[in-house]
Amino acid sequence: MRPEDRERAQIEAATRVVDRAVARARSSADLEALVSDTLYHERRRLERARKSDPRTDDDLAFCQKLQRGLKHASDADLRRMLDEIARRFAREIVGNFDERVYRLSTTVIPTGLSLLLSTMTPGRLLSLDALRTGLSDHIKLQGAVDHARGLLAHGTLIVVPTHSSHLDSIVLGYAAHLMGLPPLLYGAGLNLFENRFISFFMNNLGAYRVDRKKQSSLYKDVLKEYATVALEFGYHNLFFPGGTRSRSGAVEQHLKRGLLGTGVAAYVNNLRAKREKPNLYVVPCTISYKLVLEAETLIDDYLQEVGKSRYIIEDDEFSRPRRVAQFLSDLIRLDAKVVLTFSQPLDLFGNAVDEAGRSVDPRGRHVDPATYVMRDGEPVPDRQRDAQYTTELSEAIARSFLKDNVVMSTHVVSHALLDVLARKNPGMDRYRLLRTGGASPSIPMEEVCTATDRVLGALGELPVAPHLGDEVARNDVRGVVDDALRHYDCYHLHPAATRRGDRVFHEARNLLLYYGNRLRGYDLGRSLEGA
Amino acid sequence: MTTHPVGVVGAGSWGTTLAKVLGDNGHQTLLWTRREALCNELNEKRTNSAYLPDAELPAAVEGTTDLARVGRECRLILLVVPSHGLRATARELGAHLTGEHVLVHAVKGIEEGSFKRMSEVLREETCVRKLGVLSGPNLARELAARQPTGTLVASRYDEAFERCHAALNNQYFRVYAGTDVIGAEIGGAFKNIVALAAGVAAGLGLGENTKALLLTRGLSEMARFGAAMGADVLTFGGMAGIGDLIATCSSALSRNHQVGARLAKGESLAAIQADMRMVAEGVKTTRAAHQFATAKGLDLPIVRAVHHLLYEGGDVPTLLSDLMSIPTGAEFAALTL
Repeated sequence: MRPEDRERAQIEAATRVVDRAVARARSSADLEALVSDTLYHERRRLERARKSDPRTDDDLAFCQKLQRGLKHASDADLRRMLDEIARRFAREIVGNFDERVYRLSTTVIPTGLSLLLSTMTPGRLLSLDALRTGLSDHIKLQGAVDHARGLLAHGTLIVVPTHSSHLDSIVLGYAAHLMGLPPLLYGAGLNLFENRFISFFMNNLGAYRVDRKKQSSLYKDVLKEYATVALEFGYHNLFFPGGTRSRSGAVEQHLKRGLLGTGVAAYVNNLRAKREKPNLYVVPCTISYKLVLEAETLIDDYLQEVGKSRYIIEDDEFSRPRRVAQFLSDLIRLDAKVVLTFSQPLDLFGNAVDEAGRSVDPRGRHVDPATYVMRDGEPVPDRQRDAQYTTELSEAIARSFLKDNVVMSTHVVSHALLDVLARKNPGMDRYRLLRTGGASPSIPMEEVCTATDRVLGALGELPVAPHLGDEVARNDVRGVVDDALRHYDCYHLHPAATRRGDRVFHEARNLLLYYGNRLRGYDLGRSLEGA
Repeated sequence: MTTHPVGVVGAGSWGTTLAKVLGDNGHQTLLWTRREALCNELNEKRTNSAYLPDAELPAAVEGTTDLARVGRECRLILLVVPSHGLRATARELGAHLTGEHVLVHAVKGIEEGSFKRMSEVLREETCVRKLGVLSGPNLARELAARQPTGTLVASRYDEAFERCHAALNNQYFRVYAGTDVIGAEIGGAFKNIVALAAGVAAGLGLGENTKALLLTRGLSEMARFGAAMGADVLTFGGMAGIGDLIATCSSALSRNHQVGARLAKGESLAAIQADMRMVAEGVKTTRAAHQFATAKGLDLPIVRAVHHLLYEGGDVPTLLSDLMSIPTGAEFAALTL
């Protein structure tokens, strides 16, 4: 965010949240309860925080000061306390809350990366020449790229990508640069700012800080309001609607609606303020990798306790510069491409948007999006209605994800290998099969090819089929299997599967599950059962 | 608040009845029909002799053949056309709709071939998001005679219920709210299949025990079918489920019940349909439900037996023996709450 907008945004977001809380409160007790609840959540967070962190001491002192004043606080005092807390939250979110971390992250070059990239400091990595010869060779943009760029003239963009890796934000930041988009503002987990490598990119990509350990409703309200205000100020935003990296490897289908919902709120405010370009456009984007940097950690986390996986992982591959370096090195050596597919842009109500920025109904007729938020001719917010619009939008985004997912060799062959294992070990439950591998540690190459062919056939029969990666579309089945095996053999500590002689040995079956899960959501089960 | 008239698209017996309720409540109502002669009768004689004889329309109800006007002037529009005609009507109406409209349908059927529910058809043919369904134990002639009953308006949008409640609720018509659109639509469509079977039983002179057996097993099939479509099973315990099922299966006024009873007397389906002015939705819904159940591997014995009777040359004695030879077991097997 531009420096001149930062303070405005902070104050606006904090003030709106406090105004709403005060308006909602029926008595002083309600306000006192809100302050107490916020302080309680903060104290709990601080009890678990690192004791050596100077920010912890500072936050603790702040909480204690407010706590002391709470007992005899008048209404005016309570309002002032809420203001203080909300503004402090807003300051943290917008930035500049700890310059020591900021300075450290932008001056220290991660050792592993510096070895890999020789003289490429992050500064040089972001320079155009280095990018053109480096990242640009390994990023492929496709789909509605021109369409999305064209919409800049008509309103504000919200880019909503799939999320597999912390590299996504770097890849997208760079893609935005290639597309000629201005930097995308986005909320990144606080832990990423403490990762020396990525924090450099965070600060250059327009990231603001999201502290997922802050659980109070007041913090979440300030965060959402900041995103709303940023959209109203015309800042293009990036939301990961899955909320966090996909643990299972599957394309996200149950999207979080919190941040996404800020779109309708900002739109209503734009209309009420009669802003010149009130429209907001949602651009779904799938990011497809043949190999994912953090695959091992993510799938282990998923399998540890399905549904109760850790929301924040701080000790994954991304926090180890050598692993990042190895990953990037292998990516370059294998000439693997990260494919970004931009989907048909949508309005906030799930309608398609044409190149002139107009909403279009399913029969191709133009619709005025403002009518969705009108009541008796006036734009009005309506919490229940707007939440439903956001639900419908999230469903439309989820459909775009499935349609524009790019299926790569590693996904198809992983799915095929697991399918063969399930057939060869009927009745064995999935977890036991993953743990033991079943009766035989290997599968004849011919069977792997046949199974891969079966998966490709099932994909081809889908009413809405995903895209195929170049190596899948252009090769015969044998070529697809070879390509996947070549990729399995590098980067990961244990290959998902490896070929010896005429047999394929399934080794890291969790990884097979992770990559094969990319096809989950297409209901291939029935077609494969019938095959 | 600006007052807009309420639109009712479709002037069959149910559409005319709903228009009458709206008129009784003092709401300006536009009742659309494609037929000029019927429109003239609605406006000049205040009657609909073909579909709702004996009922007089309140002065607040105005007949029209201008669909664009309905879209332009109304914000709440009730769609009450046969299921096979909904797509075309919605497409035509869709040209005159905006995001501000609320569309609530009262159509009890599933689209043949596509297995789509009526709200899905509306979503595909219009820009409207605030969609809902009205369904319950609502026999048109009883309601037109102001006999007390209730109905469910299910929508993901509170505004759809609020508008319907404000327009329709009164001393003889209680309007309840729900959010399970799928359940309400499935309940309304599926009960017609059970009503066909109940009609057959009544036509054969079978008594209350048989009817109760059919109703309860029919409800169980409805719940299984609904669950497979994504409905909340609890909905079937309410007005759009058991409520509608009781009314339809108990009344000789129900068209589907009539079809079943006449089949039991030995008439052919073709002859009955040629003779009926109004559409018995259950005949088409049976085919759609049977196709869906086959595709999904669902075991629905009543649907299977009625389908056999209607479309596979089965006869009434076979229907009965088919139903009575269904293996019994745990009463709620295959039903997960």
